[in-house]
Amino acid sequence: MNAFKRDKKEEEEGGGNPFQNIEKTTVLQEARTFNDTPVNPRKCTHILTKILYLLNQGEQLGTTEATEAFFAMTKLFQSRDVILRRMVYLGIKELSGIAEDVIIVTSSLTKDMTGKEDLYRAAAIRALCSITDVTMLQAIERYMKQAIVDRNCAVSSAALVSSLHLTKIAGDVVKRWVNEAQEAVNSDSVMVQYHALGVLYHIRKSDRLAVNKLVAKLTRMSLKSPYAVCMLIRIACKLLEEEDSAEGGSSDSPLFEFIESCLRHKSEMVIYEAARAIVNLRRTTSRELAPAVSVLQLFCSSPKPTLRFAAVRTLNKVAMSHPAAVTACNLDLENLITDSNRSIATLTITTLLKTGAESSVDRLMKQIATFVSEISDEFKIVVVQAIRALCLKFPRKHGVLMNFLSAMLRDEGGLEYKASIADTIITIIEENPEAKETGLAHLCEFIEDCEHTSLAVRILHLLGKEGPRTKQPSRYIRFIYNRVILENAPVRAAAVAAMAQFGATCPDLLPNIQVVLLARCQMDTDDEVRDRATYYCSILEKQDKALANRYIVEGLQVWIPSLEKSLHQYTINPSDVPFDMKSVPLASIPSPEEIVNTSGKAVSREESYAEKLQSVPELVAFGPLFRSSEPVELTESETEYVVRCIKHCFPQHLILQFDCLNTLNDQLLENVHVQVEPPDGYQLVREIPCPRLPYSELGTTYVVLQFPDELGATVGTFNATLKFLVKDCDPATGLPDSDEGYDDEYMLEDVEVTLGDQIQKVTKANFGAAWEEAAASHCELEDTYSLSNMGTLEEAVKNIVSFLGMQPAERSDRVPEGKSSHTLFLAGVYRGGYDILVRAKLALAEGVTMQLTVRSTNADVAELVTSAVG
Amino acid sequence: MGFWDKLVNLLGFKKREVNILVVGLNNSGKSTVINHFKPEEDKSTEIVPTVGFNVEKFRNQNVGFTAFDMSGHGRYRDLWEHYYKDCQGVIFVIDSSDRLRLVVVREELDLLLQHPDISGRRFPILFFANKMDVRDALSSVKIAAGLGLERILDKPWHICASNALTGDGLQEGVEWLTQQVREMVNNRS
Repeated sequence: MNAFKRDKKEEEEGGGNPFQNIEKTTVLQEARTFNDTPVNPRKCTHILTKILYLLNQGEQLGTTEATEAFFAMTKLFQSRDVILRRMVYLGIKELSGIAEDVIIVTSSLTKDMTGKEDLYRAAAIRALCSITDVTMLQAIERYMKQAIVDRNCAVSSAALVSSLHLTKIAGDVVKRWVNEAQEAVNSDSVMVQYHALGVLYHIRKSDRLAVNKLVAKLTRMSLKSPYAVCMLIRIACKLLEEEDSAEGGSSDSPLFEFIESCLRHKSEMVIYEAARAIVNLRRTTSRELAPAVSVLQLFCSSPKPTLRFAAVRTLNKVAMSHPAAVTACNLDLENLITDSNRSIATLTITTLLKTGAESSVDRLMKQIATFVSEISDEFKIVVVQAIRALCLKFPRKHGVLMNFLSAMLRDEGGLEYKASIADTIITIIEENPEAKETGLAHLCEFIEDCEHTSLAVRILHLLGKEGPRTKQPSRYIRFIYNRVILENAPVRAAAVAAMAQFGATCPDLLPNIQVVLLARCQMDTDDEVRDRATYYCSILEKQDKALANRYIVEGLQVWIPSLEKSLHQYTINPSDVPFDMKSVPLASIPSPEEIVNTSGKAVSREESYAEKLQSVPELVAFGPLFRSSEPVELTESETEYVVRCIKHCFPQHLILQFDCLNTLNDQLLENVHVQVEPPDGYQLVREIPCPRLPYSELGTTYVVLQFPDELGATVGTFNATLKFLVKDCDPATGLPDSDEGYDDEYMLEDVEVTLGDQIQKVTKANFGAAWEEAAASHCELEDTYSLSNMGTLEEAVKNIVSFLGMQPAERSDRVPEGKSSHTLFLAGVYRGGYDILVRAKLALAEGVTMQLTVRSTNADVAELVTSAVG
Repeated sequence: MGFWDKLVNLLGFKKREVNILVVGLNNSGKSTVINHFKPEEDKSTEIVPTVGFNVEKFRNQNVGFTAFDMSGHGRYRDLWEHYYKDCQGVIFVIDSSDRLRLVVVREELDLLLQHPDISGRRFPILFFANKMDVRDALSSVKIAAGLGLERILDKPWHICASNALTGDGLQEGVEWLTQQVREMVNNRS
């Protein structure tokens, strides 16, 4: 009856949030009630709730406000109301980070924590640990130790978890509680055991030997708590991974045996954790995988949806690395396609798509189409990714899949979802030339009704790049021009740029585009659109193929932020010399992995190095940085001193940057420098030593060399020796024992300066045009080589690209299957700004034969390239 | 206030609740003094330096005291002022064997008395010249002179020698305080 009444009341209020309209200032005003005597617990509890609500909604309190509220709150300790007291603990925890002098409640909390009232103790420990800093920790250490081994499991757990948090600020103090934690591991309580293991592991995690011992001991003693076992499995996995990376790994390690034995544990949680662990281990072979997969297979038919979900999700992951192992579960998975839980069904289908044969694709796609509109965006993205993988696997199925994708594109959905579909279509277009026309058609249709500006711009850019080279470029013009009429300014600007691409590449469309379309755009209301239209119009008017190629098709080759910086510098110091584009560092083309990893970072590698080099005053004078190489290890990774070398190429100089790491904790190195013996022609300009290199800090020393005038001599190897002054020191403090030291040296591996270090990659969208153009203006060298140690064309292409350090143009680095000859186009710029274009014709016959044609603006550079290859 | 309340007040039936502040330098015996007043079953067997403050409750002659036992450590003395506003009495504990720091005590007392939340108000201040059992302890008279207590004109004050370990002198002091509090409450109503 009572419940019914309440329901009705809630209905009347519209079920609204009672805290919806509260305001920070009013609540803080109300908090003054805390100062009243006697305390009104009900009222104060309500106000505290409001404060906590505000804080959890992300409201920011100023330090003074928070301190005032905090001290008002401390007065509530005089009330003995249990509910109010527990709210006060929560308040203390929330405000501990903002208010000042929070240690004022230390004694009060210590009293509650050791008091008789069990309801207070656990919460008091948590609040106490949140206000305690390193200096105060000593004072409460005794109580913490007692609490860890307390008989009440809530108290013990609270103390253990709080200690875990305290390791962040005072690891050394917490380390002293190891005996207590050890005792708590033997507790009967499920949670205490788990938390105690967590603390023990955290205390020891930096010491591999100790962790090994801990795991070995606990695996033998069979823990009671399933949570603790799960944690133990995770720790064991980590150890296994470390072992493997150190020494190949052996399959009969006791750790692995332990994990495998957990597959037969009585708790489902542990079984799943073990199976997941085995699946995720990097080195797992299919034989070891089998028991784990069969456990997951069992879970697939479990009545609990969570277990089914977990199993399918894990199988979905395995399907990527070991599709064969998952095939065994296909039958069980088929049953889950129609699962009432959509998440499970989606994951099942995507898993099946990964493992299934080409013939089942149609059926699965039909199945998934029936409920794709009912699942959340997040899962739709999973589906899209599965389809992408499928397209790459079965290129012949692109028709079905593409249709499905375009249907999904037309559905409702967020930006992320739409972007992932567009991405997939773009990948398919790139990978599979047959799918290009249909893919572009679908994308064209999509932008007709696309609400996401960023996607529309991207697709227009793609149309500009790919459209002109299709059989019928004219059909895309309509779609693009529609954008100019209908869309907002950024899309219009992108459309103008795309049209210009057509104009520059397709001569038969030029009059229409130039006279009619772009001319109309010059009347646009937006500045950017007008500017672009005018710019492209005036270039196209010239009817100069080379000019159009250079300024429309290729676009800017420089790194835009550097260009901005250089121009800014130029406007600050005006000079009579016109601005030289060549002085701007070229944009480096990131490798695909880099794009994935550094998508958030806006600085190129060169840019970040350039900034670092700029900060060394001795290195400023050598002009703009041209190219920086990848770091090269000059030592084994686990030696006394670890040295990496980065080669920075400047127009006339080479700077070798040596990043040194001292791994001996009883040594302090001073005056660290690297002595190099350059080959003939190089001149040593200066050395910049690193004055001090303490234990485990990265120090940098530089060597500046001048390139030889003769380009042929620039390629070579340098002998390098690390020289330094050693001072023995106390490992604990890092202070040297005496002022006396002795000189020592350490042999490093040779530094190799290759041609690739001196060449920056450049993308050429239209290599053919650039090549023709270069025939007249560049000098040309040609030579034939036989690359006898290459077995396949792919291998040869890969080697040539990495050796020359140039950018493959028009995707010529992909060798079509089953061909015995291939032509590779490369483009780059040599230091000093000399363009290089390379055409390598490769033929497969007893090794690979290569005819290399180099065209460059500088004859010496061309000669260097040809000679370096030989 | 209604007639009934007045009657209850007059007869002294009504429970009176007051907040008092216990201050003084560190190691002067504040927590020990308070511990003495607590009922037998709540007494703690060992007293450790207070960090921040503790709230304790005790009763004397039908008056309920809520004592804010503040930490006397130098680092936390600045925090006393947060609790000045809503106190109706102060117990100031002095270590009478610590001649050296008597000047510090005087300074802290002056700061306390000059604080805006204290200076204009009238409430009793009780001084305990604690640790009187120590051999060369100063007498309460000397301490009163040393601290210049005669300058306090606007508040009733009282000093008594005490030994918090045995409880000597504490009862006398707190009886005075109870008396004062009662008078104050009666005057106000």
